[in-house]
Amino acid sequence: MTPLLAISDLHVAYKAVPALSGVSIELFEGEILVILGANGAGKTTIVKSILGLTNIQRGSVSLSTDDASHDLRKLQTHQIHRLGVTWVPEGRQLWGAMTVLDNLKMGGFASDPTETRQRIEEMLDWFPRLRERQDQLAGSLSGGEQQMVALARALIARPKLILMDELSLGLAPLVVAEVFQLVKKVNSLGVSVLLVEQNARQALRIATRAYLLEVGHVVESGPAAELANKQSVQDIFLGGHS
Amino acid sequence: MNLFLQQLLNGVIIGSTYAVIAIGFALVFTVLRVINFAHPDIFMVGMFGGLLCAKYVSSNFFVVAAASALSAGLVGLILERAVLRPLRGRDALMTLIATLGVGIMLENGVAALISSDVVAFPPVISRQPIDLGAVSVSKPQIVNLIVSLISLAIVSYYVRLTPYGRATRAVAERPDVAAAFGVNVSRVSQVAVTLASMLAGCAAVSVGLLYGNAWAFIGLAYGIKGFICILIAGNRYFEGVMLVALALGILEALITGYLSSTYRDAIAFLLLIAVLYVRPNGLFGSYST
Repeated sequence: MTPLLAISDLHVAYKAVPALSGVSIELFEGEILVILGANGAGKTTIVKSILGLTNIQRGSVSLSTDDASHDLRKLQTHQIHRLGVTWVPEGRQLWGAMTVLDNLKMGGFASDPTETRQRIEEMLDWFPRLRERQDQLAGSLSGGEQQMVALARALIARPKLILMDELSLGLAPLVVAEVFQLVKKVNSLGVSVLLVEQNARQALRIATRAYLLEVGHVVESGPAAELANKQSVQDIFLGGHS
Repeated sequence: MNLFLQQLLNGVIIGSTYAVIAIGFALVFTVLRVINFAHPDIFMVGMFGGLLCAKYVSSNFFVVAAASALSAGLVGLILERAVLRPLRGRDALMTLIATLGVGIMLENGVAALISSDVVAFPPVISRQPIDLGAVSVSKPQIVNLIVSLISLAIVSYYVRLTPYGRATRAVAERPDVAAAFGVNVSRVSQVAVTLASMLAGCAAVSVGLLYGNAWAFIGLAYGIKGFICILIAGNRYFEGVMLVALALGILEALITGYLSSTYRDAIAFLLLIAVLYVRPNGLFGSYST
């Protein structure tokens, strides 16, 4: 089966410092793929490489759609979005000086305006709290509410693949649980998810497969349930027990 | 009281011209995070574009204004493509120096091709003053004010209510995220620079009609005032820049009327120092660079 997203032998460096050294990852349509790793492991660099937001020294990144396979290294970031890839960035990165509604409208910038209006209504039904706050500046919302806006914004364009970076960062435990349930709901609608996380316990519970990254290298990979039982993952992320 | 009202009116008129220039700086700065020092000279090119049209093509005001806008807009478009875009992402100092160089080139080019002296601007509109009782105003002053207000309204509408304007604000705050949601940052930059240039061109022709002349080196005076306005206001809200420019125009006019025109230019710099001392990011805040 052809993967939806294929990263092969990826090398990325920031000036002289290597961030990724020969990373290869495959994501198949319909799955939740988790990339685990500590701070500095290179997780966000993988996401930025897919989006064309960082310089790739060597390797390939390709996305397969119905009609073709696209070499993402040859495309600009806004062109990659138009292939059906959206992003929930680390720290949400909303446009804080714009309203919630304007943030959602920007999620559909490259889509048909009528379709975008419809999708915004659907998202406001999904997230009733956002309907109450739609005219509020996004920067004034709580962390959990901002995460809802970030997720809704990424769903407006009916993506094939969502890249989610550190969803649980800075959120209260109850909110984290809610957010991970939302990821499962999103996936159940047929959207493939690449989830980059440090919260291994929650991430592995919802994931199909997972990779473990250490200092720019893939050190473990496989079905999520198997990875959760591996000693290396348990020692680093799960307190020595699953 | 009459003097106060007259100077108030004069101040609003000159302030509205500062506002159009300042908005041009602000549009480009918020999108590209660079100061386009060629912008005041694009204003000057617009002025001469209108002058040449009035002399050799048509003395219809709307045709002259269109010629100004198009000539300034074309220069802005070429500048964005040939200078600003290749330098995007590089040290801001490089872009600053490059645009300064383009500005000097435009000044000296116009001086060499047309004249380095002050040139008379054809009287497309009569300069006869209109007595309104407490104040008197001329048709060029009215045109200047209307053109400036329409320009500011266009920018406000564009930024607040159009998808591209929303994208401009998104690029200003988080360009990577904007690109990741399908915004072609290069196209947005192009539109911002061209729009800023065209509006400067329109403002230039109304200034040419107001004072009855054009000069290849006029850009510097307006450019400095416009730049000071965005430093005082900050670049977060365009409406803030407009308010500061109007306030500066009014202050200058009142100082000229009640004290002396000698102090007129100093007030801008004094205001700038005072504001930056207490609010380094400007009165209405700035996006972080």
